[in-house]
Amino acid sequence: MSKLAVIAKRDYLSRVRTPGFWIATVAIPVLMAAWIVLPSLIMAKSRGGLRLAVVDATGKVAPALQREIAKLAKEDDGPRVNLRLEIVPPAADTAAQRAALDARVLRDEIDAWLWVPPTLFADNKVEYHGATLSNLMTLGALGRVVTRVVGGQRLAAAGYDAAKVEKLVAEVEVDQVRVTKEGDKAGGGLGDFFLAIGLFMILYTTVMIYGQMVMQGVLEEKANRIVEVIASSATPSELMAGKLIGVCGVALTQIAVWLVSFLVLTAPRLMASMGAAPGGLQLAALTPTVMAHFVGHFLLGFIFYASFFALVGAAFNSPQEAQQLVSIATIFLAAPFFFFMPVLNDPDSTLALVTSLIPMFTPTVMMLRIAIKMPAAWQLAVGYVGMVLADLAMVWLCARVYRVGILMYGKRPSIKEIWRWTRYA
Amino acid sequence: MQPTLELIGLRKSFDGTQAVDGVSLVVPAGTVFGLLGPNGAGKTTTIRMLMDIIGPDEGEVRVFGHERTRADLDRIGYLPEERGLYRKMTVREQLLFLGELHSVPKKELGRRADDWLERLGLANRAKAKVEELSKGMQQKIQLAGTLLHEPELLVLDEPFSGLDPINQGLFKDVLAAHRAAGKTILFSTHIMEQAEKLCDQIALVARGKVILSGDLATIKRERGGNSYRLLADDDGERVRALPSVAAVVASNGSLRVQAAPGVDGVRLLRDLVSVVDVREFRSAEPTLEEIFVKAVGDANV
Repeated sequence: MSKLAVIAKRDYLSRVRTPGFWIATVAIPVLMAAWIVLPSLIMAKSRGGLRLAVVDATGKVAPALQREIAKLAKEDDGPRVNLRLEIVPPAADTAAQRAALDARVLRDEIDAWLWVPPTLFADNKVEYHGATLSNLMTLGALGRVVTRVVGGQRLAAAGYDAAKVEKLVAEVEVDQVRVTKEGDKAGGGLGDFFLAIGLFMILYTTVMIYGQMVMQGVLEEKANRIVEVIASSATPSELMAGKLIGVCGVALTQIAVWLVSFLVLTAPRLMASMGAAPGGLQLAALTPTVMAHFVGHFLLGFIFYASFFALVGAAFNSPQEAQQLVSIATIFLAAPFFFFMPVLNDPDSTLALVTSLIPMFTPTVMMLRIAIKMPAAWQLAVGYVGMVLADLAMVWLCARVYRVGILMYGKRPSIKEIWRWTRYA
Repeated sequence: MQPTLELIGLRKSFDGTQAVDGVSLVVPAGTVFGLLGPNGAGKTTTIRMLMDIIGPDEGEVRVFGHERTRADLDRIGYLPEERGLYRKMTVREQLLFLGELHSVPKKELGRRADDWLERLGLANRAKAKVEELSKGMQQKIQLAGTLLHEPELLVLDEPFSGLDPINQGLFKDVLAAHRAAGKTILFSTHIMEQAEKLCDQIALVARGKVILSGDLATIKRERGGNSYRLLADDDGERVRALPSVAAVVASNGSLRVQAAPGVDGVRLLRDLVSVVDVREFRSAEPTLEEIFVKAVGDANV
């Protein structure tokens, strides 16, 4: 086995064998699963429903409300809210009745009560009193139903057929279909948005975390004083490359687990078995092309930033000393957070084009564009060539600093000194 | 017999400071060679160039009869002054890693690692993490890691610094065994007494230059000057009065007698016998320390 392979193997195994690695690797798919499965579960549970007492002083709203809610429960694609109404006749002593209803809420006999005052048709107001007001979906649905009932009553009073009018003014649904080279893809919209942000975030976090892992590894080897023992049989370049490859392998292992879990979790059959996707959200399909670009952008981005982190680790003696240069890398890596929203919104804008072709931003910004709308081939090509050239320059520079830095102990070097190291023979 | 190691005109400067200024030396096969000098003399830089950890500005390194290649490094065992181990790795894995790094064949490796652990009495700690071991045990593992690939040449930079007395003894035993097996050792130290006890050959280095090198016994004899150690029934009074004596210094119950110019040992002894009862008379070799101080003075560096 070559020295490079021996070093890469050690760096890979020593990290993959830790429990911390597997906790992080499994935690993300678990969260992902929770995000997909939990809403369905919660909705299924909420079928227990809201126990709502309705006091209707107008005498016209409550029965219609009952009918509407019964109709709603049968519909499949509406918001899944289940209201169990109890119609309470209005009493003469309003204050006493309101107090009594409050008491019932507190005794947990009902969840809430709806007060429909006689002035409803004049001032358009009902009152809702509940033990909790955070059940936004239910409240929203209730509001819409009450509005429809009251609207219907008004139309009827004005001599129109409510059902007919409703049909005439029905909201037009915009079916979203995304045009791609692989053929039309229905759905998309929100799913693409989340996919793009998800890939962007994973890219940013993994490059950041694993880049810093390289730095910590180098710092540790310096602090443990093992680096010169190794440097006597492997060249500094083999040592640095071995570490980059080993840590990169760790990252790819993790990413592979994540991608596979994503594919499994979003498999059409599994999604179907859980009922429709949560909240009407359709998850975008992660195509092989997008995945290949993701791995490509990750690798090239990782090499760029991790080499720099290796330089930082070699140059200094402790994480504290390294902080200044780490923050420089972080600024460049995190900069796309400032313009990722405009890029998402218009992936063909000049801003998107220019930023995605600046090599240090290409990994994250281009990935964002790829997930939203595949950029022109020449743009992808320029992006890749730019990243490869930037990587070569970075690796060359960092290797020169690295081979000097790993043998330097003691005082914290200035940036000027580190620059001078690059010119040593 | 061709020398195991030859350094020819090595030079290295850092930011205008000449750390190594034309070091040449020859280490014959089967010798223990001491690279001596104070801290900052250029010993570590010389050794790093020999191990190809840093490149020389000028000069050549030859090992085993040819110009050193990367492959030769697998035949050298190197213990740097700044040394350590991966703290989180287990003892046995650490040894396997160091062995693999030196291209020890896979089927050999496990057996050799176990042999070393057995020999050092650490067999029951094979699965312990390095950080759980005492400092002394870690030093033993380090030594085993240096020797696991059975190197023909050992290069040790300040090997005794930081060792506890037990490990100092262990290291010396291992060096003796290594030498007895006909292998070559180069080690650097700034402690002259150590070198005096262990070395066959030495090179004295000061400010990047070799100011004296060769066989230790020969150097001592040549630099012995004209002084003698005398054990006699005298506190120095009668001896000093002799015209053939230039100076007398009392130390440790004996006298160190410097002969006057032009007086040889035979004449001095004859004179001494006439005034005192001589019980012991021998040539007084200077200590390495003394030779070194004088050599630095002579070289005027």
